[in-house]
Amino acid sequence: MEKTDRITDRQLTVLIFVSLLSPMIRILPTSAVTLGGRAAWVSPLAVFPVSALLTAGLRALLKNAPEGVGLQDAAMLGLGPVGGRIFGVVSALWLTFYGGFLARSAAERLLSTVYPNGNPPIFVVVTLLAALVTASGLTKTLSRTAEVLMPILLAVIAAVLLSAAPDVTGENLLPVTYRNWEDILCGAVPIFDVTAAFAYFLFLRGHVARTPGKRPNRFPWLTLLLLVAFAVTFFTLGTLGVNLAITMENAFFMVIRNIKVFGVIERAEAVVVAIWIVTDFIFLSAILMIVSEIWRTVTGVRRRAFFTAPSATLSGMSAFLIARDAFEFMKWSDFLVPAINLGITAVIIPAVLAVGKIRKKY
Amino acid sequence: MRKRVPALGLALCLLLSGCSRGLTIFSNYRRLESIELVRTVTVDTAEPGVSVAIYGTAGEKQEARMYEKEGTSIGIAMNELTLMPLGREAILSHTENMLIGSDLAEDRLDEVLDYVERFSEMRLDTGLLVVLDSTARELVSGLAGEETPASDVIAGLSENIDRVGKGYIFSCREIVSSLAQNGVALVQCVRGVKEEKLFEKRGEMNIEPAGFAVMRPDTVVGYLTEEETLGSMLLLGRYRSRNLDVPVENAVLTMSVDLVTPEVKPVFAHDGSLEKVDIRLKLSSNLVSMEGLVDIRREDVREKVEEGLSGIVESAVSAAVRRGQEMGVDFLDLRGILSRREPIKMEDIPEKWEDVFPALPVEIRVESVFSRTYDIIDPPEISGREEGGPWKKLIGSLTDN
Amino acid sequence: MLREKKPPAPPDIAGDAPVTAAAVEAVFDGCYDFESRELHIGGDVGRKVRLCFIDGLVSGSDVAEQVIKPLTDPERFAGVTDVKAVIAMLLGGSVYVYTAKSRTKLGEMAGDLLNGFCALIFDAERTAVTFEVKSQQRRSVEAPKEEKVVKGAKDAFVETMKTNTTLVRRKLRNAHLKIREFNLGERADTAATLVYIEGFTNEGIVAEASRRLSKIKVEGALTSAVIEENIVDNPRSPFPQVISTERSDKFCMNILEGRVGILVDGLPLGFLAPGTFSQFMKVPEDHSSHFLVASTLTLLRYFSVALTLLAPAFYVAVAMYHQEMIPTRLMQSMIEAKQQVPFPTAVEVLMMLLAFEILQEAGIRMPSPIGETVSIIGALIVGQSAVEASVVSPVVVVVIALAGIAGYTMPNQDMGAALRLCRFLLVAAAIALGMFGIALGCAALLYHLASLESFGVPYMTPFAGGEGRHFSRALLRHSMTDKRDRDPELKTGDGGEAKL
Repeated sequence: MEKTDRITDRQLTVLIFVSLLSPMIRILPTSAVTLGGRAAWVSPLAVFPVSALLTAGLRALLKNAPEGVGLQDAAMLGLGPVGGRIFGVVSALWLTFYGGFLARSAAERLLSTVYPNGNPPIFVVVTLLAALVTASGLTKTLSRTAEVLMPILLAVIAAVLLSAAPDVTGENLLPVTYRNWEDILCGAVPIFDVTAAFAYFLFLRGHVARTPGKRPNRFPWLTLLLLVAFAVTFFTLGTLGVNLAITMENAFFMVIRNIKVFGVIERAEAVVVAIWIVTDFIFLSAILMIVSEIWRTVTGVRRRAFFTAPSATLSGMSAFLIARDAFEFMKWSDFLVPAINLGITAVIIPAVLAVGKIRKKY
Repeated sequence: MRKRVPALGLALCLLLSGCSRGLTIFSNYRRLESIELVRTVTVDTAEPGVSVAIYGTAGEKQEARMYEKEGTSIGIAMNELTLMPLGREAILSHTENMLIGSDLAEDRLDEVLDYVERFSEMRLDTGLLVVLDSTARELVSGLAGEETPASDVIAGLSENIDRVGKGYIFSCREIVSSLAQNGVALVQCVRGVKEEKLFEKRGEMNIEPAGFAVMRPDTVVGYLTEEETLGSMLLLGRYRSRNLDVPVENAVLTMSVDLVTPEVKPVFAHDGSLEKVDIRLKLSSNLVSMEGLVDIRREDVREKVEEGLSGIVESAVSAAVRRGQEMGVDFLDLRGILSRREPIKMEDIPEKWEDVFPALPVEIRVESVFSRTYDIIDPPEISGREEGGPWKKLIGSLTDN
Repeated sequence: MLREKKPPAPPDIAGDAPVTAAAVEAVFDGCYDFESRELHIGGDVGRKVRLCFIDGLVSGSDVAEQVIKPLTDPERFAGVTDVKAVIAMLLGGSVYVYTAKSRTKLGEMAGDLLNGFCALIFDAERTAVTFEVKSQQRRSVEAPKEEKVVKGAKDAFVETMKTNTTLVRRKLRNAHLKIREFNLGERADTAATLVYIEGFTNEGIVAEASRRLSKIKVEGALTSAVIEENIVDNPRSPFPQVISTERSDKFCMNILEGRVGILVDGLPLGFLAPGTFSQFMKVPEDHSSHFLVASTLTLLRYFSVALTLLAPAFYVAVAMYHQEMIPTRLMQSMIEAKQQVPFPTAVEVLMMLLAFEILQEAGIRMPSPIGETVSIIGALIVGQSAVEASVVSPVVVVVIALAGIAGYTMPNQDMGAALRLCRFLLVAAAIALGMFGIALGCAALLYHLASLESFGVPYMTPFAGGEGRHFSRALLRHSMTDKRDRDPELKTGDGGEAKL
C-alpha cells in the first residue's frame, strides 16, 4: 500500500455516503413501498437502530486492529491464510459481479427515464471505463471527489424535494398507526440492506490514517443517509401514492418528471438522472478499488492498480451477461442481489471478524 | 500508461456516438429544426381501434396543425404519426392536455393512462378531459382558429375552470393515483359549443365544462350534473371560488363563495359500527352584484343570504354524496377521509365499507358568513344617506344662525 | 548561404579559473557593451589596474565619481605600493561604494559584472575587487495593469527584484520575514527569491519550495511559465497551481496567510504557493469591500464558473437530446429560429465557441485601440450578421456570449483559460452523450481537480481533503474583526486554525 494514499475517517465516511446514495435511490421508494405500503415513509427512521448497531459492531470488532489493517488483512489474520484467502476470493468475485450489476442498473435507469431509444452497452461501457480510470488512481482522490460531490448531491435532492412539496398530499401518506409496525419493519428491510453495504468499505480501512486523540465519527453518514431516505420516500409517496409508486420502476425520477419551477425549469429529470449517474460512478469506482485491494492482499502483489482493469472487464462481462432484458434484470434487482448483499454484509463479514476477535488475532 | 488506455477507450466511445445519425450508437438525438411540438393530443375510437390526432406547431410564428392517424392501439397510431409530412418528428413532451372521446372513455381509459405512464416522453401531469357530444378531434379542430390555437383555448379553460367553480382538470397522475387507490376516479368532461365568432380569426367553436365523469379503468360509471360536480369539488378540496345567485326579498344577490374549512367526521355507534358521517362546511361569501334592491345592512337580510347560500351548497354536497351512494361508488373517497381522521376505529368497523357506504347516513351542515360588499356604497334609497348627510345639516344650521 | 560552422567552445566561466584581465576579456569577447580600461592607482603610471564593467548595467557617473575618482587620487594611495594593501584599502572603504567584494574566481566575478558591478582586476594577485554601481535605469513602480485596483494599494511589481523586495518589506515590517536568494537558469543565471515568514509559514512548504527552486534546470528563467511549470506538482494540468500576481498587496496578504512567495528578477510578478482552487476565486478587493458585498461577489464568481463551464454544453444537451426540459414558448421560438439555420446544433455551438476564442485572441494580441475595434467588430458585426444571415441561431449567440462573459469574471486568467479548455471538452461530451456525457465529464473534471495537490495541500481544499469544516471560508468573506482568517490546510506555525 502506498504510504501517501491515506484518507481521514471523515473522508471514508463521505465516500460511503455518496456511494450508497446510488443504491438508495434505486431501491427507494419502490422496494420500500412495495413491502411497507403507505407506512414506508416511516421505515427509514426504524432502520436507524439496527444499522447503527451493525456499524458500531463492525467497528468495535476491528477496533484493536493496528493501523493499516483492512478487512481482508483482518480476515487473513482471523481465519488464517487459507480461510482468509477463500473469504477474499469469494468477496472479490461477488463484488466484481456487484459492480457489473451496478453498471447495468445505472444503464437501465437511464433507458427507462431519459434515453428511451438508447442502448445499454454504451452506458455500461462508458461508466465502467470512467470508473476504471478513477479506480486505478488513489483512494484519497476518489474520496476527495466524493467530498466535492456530496454538497452538490444534497443540494439537488433538496431542490427536487422542495419543488415536489406542493404535490404532496396527506391522502397518500396517512393514516399510519402503531398497527402498521409490521409494514414499517418490512419497508425497513431494503433500506437496511443498503446501509449494510457500509461493510464493504471496511476493506479500505487500511487507508484510513488515525489521528491520535481523535475519536472517529460513527454515525453521521448513516443519519444523513437515512434522512435522505426518509425525505425521498416521504415526498415520492406523498406525491404518487402507494399504488402508483410501486408500479414505477424509478418512482423518485417520476416525481421529477412533473416538476415545473416558475415556467423556467421544466422536467429536470434528465439533469437529476445524469447527476445520479455520478453516484453510480463513485460507487462503482469504490467497488473496483475494493476488489483490487482484496486481490492485492490475497496475492501479495504490491500494486493494487494491477488488478483494476481485469476486475473492470469482469464486471463489464457480468453487466452484459446478468440479464437478457429488463425483466430478467428485475429478478436480480428485486431479490437476488439484495439478498446476497445482506447475507454477506450482515452475516458473513461480522462472522469473519468475530472469529478473528475470538481467536484474539487483533 | 494505465490511465491512457481507458481514456482512449472513452474518447473512442465519444467519437463513435455524436450528432450524426449514421455514425451514432446512441439514438436519442433529435434535430431541433425538424420538431413538431405537440401541445394537445386527442384519442377517439375508430375502425381499427383508435384514432389519434396530435395538434401542435413547428415554430412560434407558424400556424398550428393537426395530424391524425388510426391504429389498433395508441402506440401504433402514434407510430404512424411520426411519418409526418416534411419529415417532421412529433415530440409529446410538451403535451399539456389529452382529450379523449366519450366512446373511448367508456372502455379504454386504462389504455390511455398506461400509454402516458409508460411513455417517458410524456408528462404525468398532462390534463385528461373527456369530450361529450362530439369526437375529441372534432372539438379540437373546431376550436382552432387562424390566430387562436386550440391548445391556447384549452389551456385557458384549464387555468380558469376551478376559479369559476365549474370543474377541475385532473392530471393523469391524479387519475391514475385515484384509480389505484380507490378503484374509481373523476375526470373532467367538456363539450364544444357553437358560438358566434367574436373576431374573424377565432375558431368556430368554444369549449365549455360539462361536469365530472365517474370512471373505472374500463368503464364510465356515470356522469355528474353541474350541482353534483360542485358538491364533489367542495368535498375533494378542488373548489376555489364560484359565484352563486341568492334570491332575497325583491332582489337577487350574486355572491362570490369561498370555502373556508371542510370537515368530514365519522360518528361511531357503541358497538364500533359506523353510525353516520358528519360533514361540516364553512363558507365565506362576498357580494359581487345585486339585481333589484335590498338593504344588506339589515341583519335579517344578511341572514337570509347566508341561509340561501348554505342551502345551495348543502344541496350540492348532498347531491354528490347521494349520487355516489346510488352508484355504489365512493368517488369522493369518504372512506379515505374518515380513515385518516379515525384510522383505528375505521379499521375496526365490523362491516365491509362496500356494504356500509350505500346506506350510510350523511349529515351535512353548511355555515356561511356574509363577509363584505367590497368598495361599493349602497344606493341612497337603500342606505338612507342624503347628499351632504348630517354634517352638512349641522354646518348649515350654524351658518344660518 | 550560411554554412554550418562549429562554434568555438565558450570559455569556462562557471569554474574556478583564476581572475585575470585577459581571462575576463576572453569571456566577454565579442560583447559590444563590455568595457575595459586601464587605470593608474593614485595617478602613478607604474601601478596599473584594469577596470571592467558592462555598459548599461552600471551607472557611468557612479563609476566615475565613486570608483575612478578616489582610486586615481594621488594623496589617498600615496606611499602604498603593495597591491595587497591597495586591495585591503579598497575593501576597507577608500572607494565610496556601499558594496565591495573580493573575487578570486572568474565565475563569481563574471556574475558580479552581469549583476551591475564594476570590477578592478589586479593581475598580479589574480584578484578582483567588485563594486555595486547598478544603473538606476528601471521602470518605476506603477499601478497594476492586468489586475485592476479600485480600492487598494496601487504599487505593482516591476522587473527589478530589489524594488519588488522593497515593496514587500515596506508592507511586511517583520524581522522574521525571510527573503532567500536562488539563482535560476544555467545560462541566464536569473536571481529569484523565496519570501516567507520564519516560524509562521509551514516549514514543510518552505522546505519543499526551496527544494523545487534549487532543482530548476533550465537555460534561463525569463518567463513565468518557466517558474510555474518547474515548481508545480502536476505541470500537465491546465489548472494553475501557483498564484501569480502583479499586486504587491495581494502578494503580502498571502504571505500573511501562510503561503510562500517567489520573486524573480526580470518578471513583474510574484508567485505564491500553495495555490488552491478557492484561492483563485478571490480578489484583493474582497478585503477592501464590505464582507457582505465581498461574499456575494465571491458566490457570484462560483456561479460564473458553473455558467462558463456548463452553459454551452447544457444548451447542446438540451437542444439535441433533452428537449422536454425547454419551456413550451421558448421551445417554439427556438424551433422557429433553428429552421433558418443550415448547420446542426453541435456545429453551430462549436463554430461559435471557436469564433469567440479567435476574436478574443485577436483582441488581446492587437494594440489596445485596434484590439477594441476587433472586439466591437466581432461582437456587433460578426455576431449580428451571423444571426441575420442565419448562420447561427440567436440563442446560440446568447449562450456563448453568456458563457464567455461569465469566464471574464475569473480573477485569474490562467484559471479562466483552463475553464475555457474544459468547456470545449464538456461540449464534446454533451454532443456525444447529452446530459449523461456532461455528468461524466464533470465527474472526470472534479476527479482531476481532486487529484491535484499544491506543495502538499489538496487543490480542492476546503471543499475536499480538509476537515470539511471550513466551506464557508472559501465561499464567503468573514468579517475582518477576526484577524486569524487563514486557510487551515496551510498549517501555519501559530496553530493555523482559522477561527470561524
